[in-house]
Parts: sequence; structure tokens; C-alpha cells
Amino acid sequence: MKKEGLKAKDFITVGIFTALLLVVEFACGMLGFIHPYIVASYVVMIPLVGSIPMMLFYTKIEKFGMLTTMSVLIAIFMFITGMGYLGAPLIIAAGVLADLIAKSGKYKNFKKIALSHGVFCLWICANYFPVIVTADSYRKDLLDGGYSAEYCDNLFRAINGKTIAVLLILCFVFGIIGAFVGKAVVKKHFEKAGIV
Amino acid sequence: MRLDPRTKLFMVFVVSAIVMMSATTPLLWAVRIAVTMVPIILLITEKHYASAFRFLVLYGIALALLFGLLSEGSTGIVAALLLGYCCIIVQFLPAIITAWYVVRTTKIGEFVSAMQRMHVPDGITISLAVVMRFFPTIKEEYASIRDAMKMRGVMLGGGNAAKMIEFRMIPLLFSCVNIGDELSAAAITRGLGGKVKRTSATDLKMKAADWLMAVAFTAAAAVFVVFKYVL
Repeated sequence: MKKEGLKAKDFITVGIFTALLLVVEFACGMLGFIHPYIVASYVVMIPLVGSIPMMLFYTKIEKFGMLTTMSVLIAIFMFITGMGYLGAPLIIAAGVLADLIAKSGKYKNFKKIALSHGVFCLWICANYFPVIVTADSYRKDLLDGGYSAEYCDNLFRAINGKTIAVLLILCFVFGIIGAFVGKAVVKKHFEKAGIV
Repeated sequence: MRLDPRTKLFMVFVVSAIVMMSATTPLLWAVRIAVTMVPIILLITEKHYASAFRFLVLYGIALALLFGLLSEGSTGIVAALLLGYCCIIVQFLPAIITAWYVVRTTKIGEFVSAMQRMHVPDGITISLAVVMRFFPTIKEEYASIRDAMKMRGVMLGGGNAAKMIEFRMIPLLFSCVNIGDELSAAAITRGLGGKVKRTSATDLKMKAADWLMAVAFTAAAAVFVVFKYVL
């Protein structure tokens, strides 16, 4: 492990895995159109499915900053796709914290990596921020914007100030479970092929 | 008409901001629709007819359905679902069209030198450029994986959700990792990440059209904010 900063190659790796993770997120996001409860279940789906690219990504991390850069990129893309800027601090904070945790295990210790992935997955909750922080006006906006009252009621029953704590915890827990799933998948396919 | 990448980024920024505020009055709807039409027209001027047409039709249908259903009041599951879809499309499509326009018409070199002009850290620029370049690649790779699956007669992974994901994700990751390695080799050969400041073959200049577009979009954002929150 060299003490120098990130190189162009590292940033390219970050870019690739960010693109993959965003594709996973958009794929899951499509399902959210069906029913508001599915929106709440992002906290389960995205950590589990996203863990496969993430665990492969973790095997490529050697230096501090890659996870942080990834979180910044995610924040930018969340903004561009209209999810709002409210979640950005949470996303980047989760990224830096996850980076620090993984660094303390030198990016090799699997327990630390699992913990770090759990923390990193908290970014998913940033999706819900507009719903919680601006609950009243957001609800009015949705109704004015033509969402049915039923959809709104369900959405706000599933996601509000009280359930956000539960959702954050779920993100974290499924992030850790996802780390094990992802690790198993990476082991099954990639170590055999000699890519890792 | 070729716009400066910085103007394009500013457009993305404004449209994303407008998308976050929902339109409630006819005037706001007009602003919103106008802002959506601009990237579609720009796509046409850049000869991306197919995608411009697709976006136009999708947006038109969603708008028509939305207003049609809204006036009658939505009852029943089908109407509510349809309304939900249309809403999401109408809400987010402007941002998607603009982002699509920017990604499709900006050369990576232009984008990088624009970011450099704005003093964005190199790391962020490189990663962002890779992400932008990578979405179409992922789509292509995914299409070939689907073809390969069809050829072998593997459909949907036998209804098993975990298998469905595994069958698609693993080959995708394999090809993406390989493409990534090739990409970094190619980029580093061409001097990416070197200590010398990067120069660009195309000279970026803000032209009259750029300023016009920037002013128009600023005005749109201002109208939106003033009429929604002040008045």
C-alpha cells in the first residue's frame, strides 16, 4: 500500500462502479412506480443487489478517497435526476464514514468492509429526504401534481419522521447482510476466474 | 447549433431545480413545458431525430393523459396507477431529456476541459466522464448478455429472483471490469493523470447563443421560484 494519492486508474474504477450502482438503483426505482410500499423496500433491495458490484469494488480499493469520490458522484447524479439536494450531505457523510471504517481495516479486513458497506448503504435513505423534511408541502405538491390521494397516504404511512429511523437501521442491517451475499457471489464467480 | 458544455451543465442544473418544484398553476406549467421543449429542439438541431421524437411523444402522451384524467378525477386502481406513472414521467422526464441531450452531444474531451475551466478537481472530472461514457456501454453489454441467454434458451432464470439477478449481473460485471481495465490503459497511454496541465484541441468559448440560453434558463428558474413561493 503506497502512501500516495489516487491515480487516474482509480478514478476510472470509481466511475465504472458508480455507473453500475446507479443502474441498479434506477432498475429498482422503476419498481417503485407500482406501489409506494415498494419505495420503502428500496432499503432492502438496493443493498442486496447493489452489494455484488460493491463487494467487487471493495476488492479494488486500496487507498482512501475512492468511496468518498463515489458518494460525491452519487450525490451529483441524485441531484441531476431530480431527487433533490437535501440528501447530498447524508450521502457524502455516509461515503466518508464508510471510507474511514474500511480504511481502519486497511481495505482488507472483511468485518470492517461489511460494516463499511452497511454505513455506505445509508445513502439510499437520501431518496426519502424530500418526503420527510418537507412532508407537508411535499404532500401538497404531490396532490397538486396529480398523484392520487391514495398513493400519497400510502407513501406517507410508509415513510415519515418515525419510520425513517427504522428505514435507516434496515439500510444498515441489509447493507451488512448484503456484504455477506456480495462476498459469497464474488467468491463464487470472480475468485475462480482469477479476476480478483 | 453547438452549445458550450458549461451552458449545457447550467441547463441541467436549472432543469433539475425546476423538476424538484411541482407546477401548480397554468403559468408554471407553461414554463415547465417550455423548458422541456428546449432540449428536445436542441436534440433536433443536433440531428438526434429518433430520440427527440421518442421523448416528444412520451412527454406528450403523459401530459395529455395527466390532464385528461385529472379533470375527471381519478378513481379505480387502473386510473390511479396510470396517473401515478404519468405524473412521474411528467415530473422527471424534463431532467432526463436534458441529461440525455448533454450526454449525447458533449464530447468527453469538451466536457473535461469545461470542468477544468471551472476548477473542478481532476478526480471528480475523470470519474464523472467515465460514468457518462459508461451508461451506453452498460446498455450494449446488457443487450448482448440477453442475446446470449436467448441463444442458450435461458429465460428469466426459471422464475427465481436471485438467479434472475445473478445471471444478468455477473456477466455484466465481468465485461465491465474488463472494459474498465482497457479504458484505463488507453487513457493513461494518452497521458491522463499526468502532471502536465491538459490542453484541449477545441477552444471553448461562450458564444451569443450560450449567453442567450443561460439568460433564458435563469429567467425560467426565477419565474418559477417567484410565482411559486413569493406570490
